[in-house]
Amino acid sequence: MAGYPMPLAMASPGEVVRIADVRAGRGLTRRLADMGLLPGTVIRIINSQMRGPVVVEVKGTRLALGHGMAHKILVTR
Amino acid sequence: MGKREVLQAKDKSLSHLRTIYGDEAETVIADGRYGFISSLIKETLKKPAVEEVTLSDRVDRVLLNRIVGIPIFLVILYGIFQFVFTLSEPLMDRIDAGFDWLADQAIGISPQWLGSLLGDGVITGVGTVLTFIPPIFLLFMAIAVLEDSGYMARAAFVADRVMHSIGLHGRSFIPMVLGFGCNVPAIMATRTIDNTRDRLATILINPLMSCGGRLPIYALFAAAFFAAHEGIVVFSFYLIGMVLALAVAFLLRKSVLSGPSAHFVMELPSYRLPTLKGTIIHMWERGREFLIRAGTIIFGAVVLIWFLGSMPWGVEYGSEESWIGHIGGVFAPIFEPCGFGDWQAATALIFGFLAKEAVVGTFGVLFAAEEEGLGTVIGAQLGWTPLVAYAFMAFSLVYVPCAATVAMIRRETKSWKWTGFAIGYSLVLGWLVATLIYQIGRLFVG
Amino acid sequence: MAREITIALIGNPNSGKTTVFNNLTGARQHVGNWPGVTVEKKEGSLDYQGYHIRVVDLPGVYSLTAYSLDEVIARNFVVEGKPDVVVDIVDASSLERNLYLTVQLLEMGARVIVALNMMDQADLRGHSIDTPRLSHLLGVPMVPMSANRNRGTAELLREIVNVAEKKTQAKPLKIEYGREVEGEIANLEKLVSQTELSQRYSPRWLAVKLLEEDEDIARKFKE
Repeated sequence: MAGYPMPLAMASPGEVVRIADVRAGRGLTRRLADMGLLPGTVIRIINSQMRGPVVVEVKGTRLALGHGMAHKILVTR
Repeated sequence: MGKREVLQAKDKSLSHLRTIYGDEAETVIADGRYGFISSLIKETLKKPAVEEVTLSDRVDRVLLNRIVGIPIFLVILYGIFQFVFTLSEPLMDRIDAGFDWLADQAIGISPQWLGSLLGDGVITGVGTVLTFIPPIFLLFMAIAVLEDSGYMARAAFVADRVMHSIGLHGRSFIPMVLGFGCNVPAIMATRTIDNTRDRLATILINPLMSCGGRLPIYALFAAAFFAAHEGIVVFSFYLIGMVLALAVAFLLRKSVLSGPSAHFVMELPSYRLPTLKGTIIHMWERGREFLIRAGTIIFGAVVLIWFLGSMPWGVEYGSEESWIGHIGGVFAPIFEPCGFGDWQAATALIFGFLAKEAVVGTFGVLFAAEEEGLGTVIGAQLGWTPLVAYAFMAFSLVYVPCAATVAMIRRETKSWKWTGFAIGYSLVLGWLVATLIYQIGRLFVG
Repeated sequence: MAREITIALIGNPNSGKTTVFNNLTGARQHVGNWPGVTVEKKEGSLDYQGYHIRVVDLPGVYSLTAYSLDEVIARNFVVEGKPDVVVDIVDASSLERNLYLTVQLLEMGARVIVALNMMDQADLRGHSIDTPRLSHLLGVPMVPMSANRNRGTAELLREIVNVAEKKTQAKPLKIEYGREVEGEIANLEKLVSQTELSQRYSPRWLAVKLLEEDEDIARKFKE
């Protein structure tokens, strides 16, 4: 079921994906973990606009991730 | 001591775990916690099989839309201003009349100097400012509703694209909107920005967001010089402030404060109907700050102004020969190119440094002898045209943060250098903007 | 002479903590600053059945790692301020994420009551929570609430007095982190127990924090 990891930015609204990797510095990785985004976590894309922030649902909460972020988080379908 | 051993052991443990897991220990630990929680949830939480697209999401699809999101926000902002001003006008008129009557009664008190102090000075000065309680409180209330309903987060999200192209952060947006109420709590709100440079830039541009203290200035002159177009005129200053703030931020980030921008991660709370009680408490918290400042700083400023306006002994109150006239006279020539090279204007602006509201308070004291609308009086006595009034208001918008804001900037930046910079750049920028408006405007209006 | 109880309110931003605070304290609030920093400190009080309850509102945080000033302040108050009770406001409609903070509080060994807030929102979304079972599994009292409609405040107060009076030293929650990690924890725990810091903090908690590379805790060991 798991496909090849791709940046979160490339997923489409409605898709459910699993986080494969977070390519960020320690501080940011920790902050994302605090909000529930860890490798292995399943998230659902709510809203995604080209070059704009992405809204995902993780553990029952809506998170808005800035542009740069969506490229640092790798997911698999 | 045992402590050092602990630290050494820790480093060994960390590298050991890193080798085994191929990941940092803290990720494994966070994972462990979530795993534990997950097992609890499986046992105790039942969610519907398919989480339907909620109304909240549907609303968001519109409000967060790339193209429509920002215009919607501007419309909402404009709507708020209309609401605030239409509602407060009748109230303001009544309060104004009340203070006028009170001042008249006070002047009759003997000894004469006391009557003057109370009537010309304190009551008129402080009263002019307190007249603005309705719009300022209503503005705080509107901001509270925006926050409590959850819309603020959406607005920040929408603004993030614009912010990012400036080199700022979506998170910088909220302090900017708070700045419309008062710059002091707005600057405190920059705490949530982790990146130092982003935060510094946000703090430095915040005073350009037209705060409640400037409202009296706009209301006064807009009513006198642009009657029937007041709403648009006042709104134009909020817009100018925003545009300048973004422009300055852009320049700062390109030069002095350049560096990578922090990342934007924010929770979008579900939309909520704000409670009346919660909103009122919110509004009261912030409004009370304003009242206390009006009470103390402005009271002090007004007494000081009155004193300077009455000295040397026997001089005609508030005239050019009084001490205050002299002070204003020294600075007046600087404002010639801006169109308002009058000593009264210069004096008012000097006291505006204490608190922006004091500009109006000062005018109120200096022209206390008159009865009609203060704005019209100023226009008549100083020979101002609407263009001059507009340039003056623009200057008031930009120049120098008020004393309380300066104090807050110093507190949050912990640096005299940046505080000084904030004061300096805004003075220069204010002068430039006012001069440009006046000189260019003259070519068209004459 | 009224008995004094001090409680701390903690929870995620947007969990309704402010509403709970307002419901408890009404107009009797006071905003100041946490000493030495520019973070706002909100305090209030109320009288309830002969008790004078002092409520300290801690900053809204997602976690108790020392990533931000807010978290350090919240954490320090729980440890050093020694409130009688820590009320953790949890958004019931976002249960999974909110419990991350709860679990960390329990690992610290704090005396916690979980206020399960926004139950009306959870109901609306079709969530059903087995509160008694969850309370039992976590080993912590849980009070369902809808602070927006001021529902649950009385029950919360009752529970607060209950817990404050019992004065039992809560046993820290222990989460199994996997054999390798647990091995390192045990090792560090032993060394930590020999330092003075183990008087104030649970050795296991310190060990876990060290492995999390918590800057605040590491600093304490460098002094």
